[in-house]
Amino acid sequence: MTQLPPNEQEVQSPPATGNKRIGVIITFAVILTLLGLLAWGLKKAQAGPLDNGLAPDFTITDFDGRTATLSELRGQVVVINFWASWCPPCREEAAYLEETWRKYEDKGVVFIGVDYVDTEKEALAYIDEFDITYLNGPDIGTRISQAYNIQGVPETFFVAKNGELRGVHIGPMKSPQLDEKIEELLAEQYP
Amino acid sequence: MIADIGLIALTIAFIFTVYATFASAYGGWRGRWDLVESARNASLLAFPFLTVSVIVIVYSLYVLDFSLAYVYDVSSQAMSPFLRMAALWGGQQGSILFWAWMMAGFVAAVLLRKWDRDREMMPYFTATAMLTTAFFVGVVLFIANPFVRLWHIEGAAELTQALFQPANSMPYYPEDGGGLNPLLRHFGMIGHPPTTYLGFTGFVIPFSFAIAALITGQSRGDEWIRTTRRWTLVAWIFLSIGLILGGRWAYDVLGWGGFWGWDPVENAMLMPWLTGTAFLHSVMMTEKRGMMKRWNMVLIILTYSLALFGTFITRTGVISSVHAFTKSALGPAFFAFIGLTFIGSVTILYLRWDTLKSEHTLESFISRESAFVLQNMLFLAVTFVVFWGTIFPLISELVTGIKITVGPPYFQKATGPLFFVLVILMGIAPLLAWRKQAARTFGKAIWMPFIASLGIAGIWGYTHRMHPASILGLWLVTFSLSAILAEFWKGVQARRVTRGENPLTALFNLIGRNHRRYGGYIIHLSVVLIALGFIGDANFKLETQGTVSSGEALTIGDYQLQFEQLRGYPGSDGREIVEAVTTLSQDGEAIRALNPRRDYFTVQQQPVTVPGVYSTPGKDVYVLLVGWDDSGQSATFKIYINSFINWVWLGGLMMIVGTIIAAWSNPGQRETTYVLKPGVLTSHSLVQEG
Repeated sequence: MTQLPPNEQEVQSPPATGNKRIGVIITFAVILTLLGLLAWGLKKAQAGPLDNGLAPDFTITDFDGRTATLSELRGQVVVINFWASWCPPCREEAAYLEETWRKYEDKGVVFIGVDYVDTEKEALAYIDEFDITYLNGPDIGTRISQAYNIQGVPETFFVAKNGELRGVHIGPMKSPQLDEKIEELLAEQYP
Repeated sequence: MIADIGLIALTIAFIFTVYATFASAYGGWRGRWDLVESARNASLLAFPFLTVSVIVIVYSLYVLDFSLAYVYDVSSQAMSPFLRMAALWGGQQGSILFWAWMMAGFVAAVLLRKWDRDREMMPYFTATAMLTTAFFVGVVLFIANPFVRLWHIEGAAELTQALFQPANSMPYYPEDGGGLNPLLRHFGMIGHPPTTYLGFTGFVIPFSFAIAALITGQSRGDEWIRTTRRWTLVAWIFLSIGLILGGRWAYDVLGWGGFWGWDPVENAMLMPWLTGTAFLHSVMMTEKRGMMKRWNMVLIILTYSLALFGTFITRTGVISSVHAFTKSALGPAFFAFIGLTFIGSVTILYLRWDTLKSEHTLESFISRESAFVLQNMLFLAVTFVVFWGTIFPLISELVTGIKITVGPPYFQKATGPLFFVLVILMGIAPLLAWRKQAARTFGKAIWMPFIASLGIAGIWGYTHRMHPASILGLWLVTFSLSAILAEFWKGVQARRVTRGENPLTALFNLIGRNHRRYGGYIIHLSVVLIALGFIGDANFKLETQGTVSSGEALTIGDYQLQFEQLRGYPGSDGREIVEAVTTLSQDGEAIRALNPRRDYFTVQQQPVTVPGVYSTPGKDVYVLLVGWDDSGQSATFKIYINSFINWVWLGGLMMIVGTIIAAWSNPGQRETTYVLKPGVLTSHSLVQEG
């Protein structure tokens, strides 16, 4: 069984040792690059999203040109929501987010929508569709999402009145998760 | 203590798997058959010991032994006994134990059945398969141990998790556990993990045989392929069922109206399926023609590595995903193991590359052979496209410092044309003869289905005037479908004429006489049906969202959804249910009541959306309760019309039937496939193999 009968039609590949060597080098280079990439990704993933300590500061310019800076919002509870128009689970929570914002708008709560890797036209259509009225702007150069080390969208970070992160919610939020979190943070004393 | 029995059994199983790995490799290398036999016994014993571990965990979940951290995490008093036991795969530790157990089961089954037939390959098969099993058992034992207990150390604010009692500590018995993630309490999620794991672990069999064949030099022949054909089919069908159940779960539970979102975790499962499918086809070329030996090796190594890669990215969060998975210490161990498997197998392949010469060359571009080459290339291309899209966020972040996630549009646009050609190929490739196909005969076989499909798609396109892509999609499905059905038709006709059988008997006997071929056709038909579901999703989907007060209606397409009222009541498994009472009408005529719900799981503080669905063969009307105002007077709904979606589930069932037929050996026939010898068939090369 181990010896196959000689076959006249067997393809005699030319002794292309040079080509073969290049092929081998390329193959192993690709494999090693890939493994290197995974190792690097793994190292980053092990870090996980930020969920405590002082919330990284940022300034965001919204689609209408208004700006907001996180460090200037001390004394208020801040909800930072990372989203994108191409993300189906974001659509799931959009109506609930807006509803909750309207409920807490006048109670010392600020909502910031950070639009992650998106195109303006689609993003505006999304905002229009869900009639979103809180501040929303693009994350230019993914600077904000990198500072928060987000794992995907949607992801929502909660900032207490003193500017500290008080947890992160990965995935879409549903009633009454957001309400509960906001009530909890509003109850904190400041200063 | 019963949990201790589980831990001891697990430890013994680990020792056995490690011993089996080294003893079989050394025995094979030195020709020490006694060692190889001993390794076989150790491998066979590892399975019952792992079984004990699994039984202990399942029992602990059932009786709610909350002193175990794992039970505390995933089981709870409110859960039904069935769900408690299904919680075996509801968390990291349990699912990896389950995984290791199934892999050991597969290997034991092979060692029992194939021991005498493939003696030369057995030492290396055992070594490869047991190395992998040992890795998984080791992960369970050292990294993700489900037997870890909860302890309370005096004065400490938090509980400690440890296998053995830490100093100054007392065992801690919580009153109740956290319970299974509510999203997983669905039949799709009960069935999806075990089938997926069976698929992933099942591929260890062909992979280990491939490595054994390479090491022993048996790779020149096709014995390893014959030995593993059914095992590959089993792995493949479980992977397929896993994919479909996952899709069904997403459709029913995740509440975004679709079943496939090109999420990294979904892609992770799709990639080994793609290469595995290519492998299943490609091995036929080696069996019949002695060609594509290198392809087979590359494909099985890729399939297995991609299965590991899939597990890796799912469990470690290397690539962002909308699926939230827990972080764990598994990452580095998995990374090392994937690196070892991939580099090791590619190195062995490189050393044996020259022995894997093809026994024939391609003789014609219109032939079964060239169709096989083309399909392999297409499958690899799709895999590459999916892989690239999946790891692109990593690459872009590394190169530019900006993480760019590619969404579903990329995957749809890039894989669409490739899948398009694959579906055409699926219809016509079985019509092609081996070696050389005269264009004329091929034309004769294909013109009827071609004209018929053109006609149907043309008429539909003319009457509906929708986007050209949708017409093209429908043409594709009709064409492939009629080409495959024509094969059945021809076979039945031939039997009717030659044997005078009635059509039904003829069909039955036709399939019965050649399980592999007609089982394969049935699988092809099922894939066409699934393709129809994807085409419907891409081209015919409608959606709307709106807030309505009691008595008002939302309109979508020909349908109206009238909102009557909201009602709340407590449900099973510790949930509070808010349900909307609505009536769905079509063109003003009431069809039926729909009750989209929001289930709130009190313990986990997690809501789950349960859609109200009106299903017909042509489309689903899929209604989600998105929100409501506190008075209960108005509610917000999201409505989707999903065309052809039910054909995906039907196709899934048909795929199982087809695979069972294809894997069933023909009675009275030993598995012989005849090999075309050069020169024998030149005069009648158009004869199709039977």
